[in-house]
Amino acid sequence: MAIQKQYYRRKKVCKFCVERIDSINYKDVKLLSQFVPERAKIMPRRISGVCSPHQRRLTDAIMKARNIALLPFATE
Amino acid sequence: MRNYEIMFIVNPNVVDDEIDKINSQVEGIITTGGGTVVKVEKMGKRRLAYPVDKFRDGSYVLFTITATGEVVKETERRLRVMDTVIKYLTVRMDEDNRRQDKIKAHRQKRALRRSTNSANRSAPEQPMDEK
Repeated sequence: MAIQKQYYRRKKVCKFCVERIDSINYKDVKLLSQFVPERAKIMPRRISGVCSPHQRRLTDAIMKARNIALLPFATE
Repeated sequence: MRNYEIMFIVNPNVVDDEIDKINSQVEGIITTGGGTVVKVEKMGKRRLAYPVDKFRDGSYVLFTITATGEVVKETERRLRVMDTVIKYLTVRMDEDNRRQDKIKAHRQKRALRRSTNSANRSAPEQPMDEK
């Protein structure tokens, strides 16, 4: 008998595509901090499910926000 | 001429009046260089994500401007010299804005098409109801 798959993994969707967020702005700390887990690293796509065009913009925005001390580079 | 956003952090011990003074100074630099200041926004005191020059807080100020690269260069140089300004960031906005306008226009067009389509579909039904 074939081994049954125990887990049903929900398909991840890109938050920005679904909610139609056009601009990923570096000033929007609330939005960006959702993609910055505890160690202050940028969350990889395989975990967050963000599509690649949006991930690119997200990374840009997070890097800008870090530069102006809105987001940390690392937690101390 | 391009659109930029200049954001800078002022030393937290500086009072509000002095921030206004810095703002008018920056505005002066931009306007003398031939640029225009679209908006000045004081974002107030915030906690910094990491210490900058041993400060843990800072007052944020955001300038939205239209200017040439030269003006931005000069403004940045002057900001670097000011000892009350502890950090600054300039971001070019026009490309992003253009992209957003494009998306918006595209979405509007689609919405329009959708509404006309549904109107056409419902149009033949109406005379039938009358009969």
